[in-house]
Amino acid sequence: MNEKLRRYIDDLFANAPSTVRAVELKEELFQNLTDKYNDLIAEGKSEEAAYNIAIASIGDVDSLISGLSGTKSAEGMASKKRSAIITAIAIALYILCPVPVIWLQHEGGVVLLFIFVAVATALLIYNGVTRERYVKADDTMVEEFREWKQNGKQKNKAVDAIVGSFWLIAVCVYIVVSFMTGAWHITWIIFLIAAAVSSMIRGLFMLKQ
Amino acid sequence: MSVASELIRGNTETIILAQLMKGDGYGYMVNKAILNLTGGRFELKEATLYTAFRRLEDAGCIVSYWGDETTGARRRYYSITDLGKESYRLRKKEWETAEAVIDKLLAVGEEGVSK
Repeated sequence: MNEKLRRYIDDLFANAPSTVRAVELKEELFQNLTDKYNDLIAEGKSEEAAYNIAIASIGDVDSLISGLSGTKSAEGMASKKRSAIITAIAIALYILCPVPVIWLQHEGGVVLLFIFVAVATALLIYNGVTRERYVKADDTMVEEFREWKQNGKQKNKAVDAIVGSFWLIAVCVYIVVSFMTGAWHITWIIFLIAAAVSSMIRGLFMLKQ
Repeated sequence: MSVASELIRGNTETIILAQLMKGDGYGYMVNKAILNLTGGRFELKEATLYTAFRRLEDAGCIVSYWGDETTGARRRYYSITDLGKESYRLRKKEWETAEAVIDKLLAVGEEGVSK
């Protein structure tokens, strides 16, 4: 009979968001219902009657579960803020990356520039990959569509982050190489190479999918 | 539910706090105590109970921890905080005030009948 209770609760929580809070609530509810069920059996009720009384005592659990997604969106806000901070830092690093070159006037500056760019790129990629998935708020088709769309976007986001940062690196390389060699008449070729490489990156990701 | 549920619903949290004033307890234990106290006339729905627990927890009136039962599944225990005790006293006073006011207002009808 325990399995029957367990199954009922599993069904009840089928649409609940998969947060720690929801899992804990489910466990708690199951434990309490089991206690209640055992008590009713001890009182001399039949298994069927005890099960029905226990189930009937649950009440409207929907509002509880929707309360859980409320806390979920609070977490969503926090992750959005974190993501904004990471993006801001990465962009600041991109903007500041030529500073060491101008400042130091030797190879050390270029090394620092690449470190800046590498850190900024890593931040952007990390941000793109760890961004939270969209969890549907209810069972409507609109929500399902949103979830599906968001998950599709999620895959593209990582590629976009990589390609976007790759282009920034290409621009940095172009400027640095041009200034250092003075060979402006030929360095534009870097952009042709960059275009080819970025297409290759996209192609590789598409193959992977 | 044989007791006027609307009236009781407004005091669910106070009732739970009152139970926890006696000591830590888990969901079913609290509900069973309520059932026994009312002679089987009143019992909280599980959903109502947990909604109230979550709200009280968010408000800092209670804290929860998982018990370390040696047999069977683990239970989640709730413990009242100082803020919760303060809140209980305040809510109880509010109820007493409301009770006195409603008694007075409703007694008018009885006087009308006896005249």
